[in-house]
Amino acid sequence: MCDTCGCGEGRRRTIEVNQDILRANREIALDNRRHLDSTGTIAINLIGSPGSGKTTLLERTIERLGRRFRIGVLEGDIETEIDAERIRKKGAVAVQLTTGGACHLESSLIHRGLHELEGRLDGRRLDILFIENVGNLVCPSFFELGEHLRVVLVSVTEGADKPLKYPKAFRTSSVFVITKADLIPYTDFDIKKATEFALSINPSLETIVTSSRTGDGIDEWVDLLIKARKRTP
Amino acid sequence: MHELSIATGIVDEIVRIAEENRAKRVLAANLRIGRGAGIVIDSLRFALEVVKTAHPVLTSTEMRIDEVPLIYRCNDCGREFEADDLYLPRCPMCGSYNLRLVSGEEMDIKDIEIEV
Repeated sequence: MCDTCGCGEGRRRTIEVNQDILRANREIALDNRRHLDSTGTIAINLIGSPGSGKTTLLERTIERLGRRFRIGVLEGDIETEIDAERIRKKGAVAVQLTTGGACHLESSLIHRGLHELEGRLDGRRLDILFIENVGNLVCPSFFELGEHLRVVLVSVTEGADKPLKYPKAFRTSSVFVITKADLIPYTDFDIKKATEFALSINPSLETIVTSSRTGDGIDEWVDLLIKARKRTP
Repeated sequence: MHELSIATGIVDEIVRIAEENRAKRVLAANLRIGRGAGIVIDSLRFALEVVKTAHPVLTSTEMRIDEVPLIYRCNDCGREFEADDLYLPRCPMCGSYNLRLVSGEEMDIKDIEIEV
């Protein structure tokens, strides 16, 4: 209001914004998605606590599907190449993304990872891309990465109440994988309860019970991936 | 602690909008955060105060957070009601589970007040 008198007070204005806080992340995620669609690659974002069995499930998956499909993995961790090394031993292409402290992956890091993967692929296209998020059941659920399918994992030693305690991970996922089912006799884990809790958050969630050690449920998991791949463009 | 990343995103957006509008400084920013958005408001407030110090245009910005209640509309009887949490809510009038979320998942920058 005061441009002329010299009191130094400028004009005040209100700018309407009405914009999603995570817009920047979402826009890069959409770019990632368009890129993945153009190469015919289905991307799967795995979310679960540290030690929930994400990497081991990927090892079993690559053993089953590695001959039929070209599989790539982006491994999210705070530090180390340990997980990427494990995946490479199974014959898949892997890039380790170290966040250097952040507890989740963001779409810009995936963008960089996709470039790095392509550098290692010499023009070949991936059929399936797994994104193993940083071990954490909270923060990764906020950040879209451009994935086609989001999967939340809980191991039986973590307890059946996890869907209730970490609702966002379950609300935003379409598949719930219970892992380490071979350990159920040593725990109080109740599959029925865990499934009910998960469905109370997200009624359309599909649940699969697996054991990477015995191989139980891995067929079902692999079938689901093949079906999901057929559904994507 | 996703609140720090979220605060960084908010501050970057506010700075971008302020620059676009040639603001001398930003007086206030009004944010809308839903009860069911999964954001700890106190953590977000703390993170915003830390992150904004990196930008001179934000030194005197008041960060206002409007908490949006979790409201459902019943698809069977049409009534609207407020819920405490996201877990399998039922319509208190007719008992139906067939509900639509009306509000409560917002994470928006509503507007910013600037001095030009």
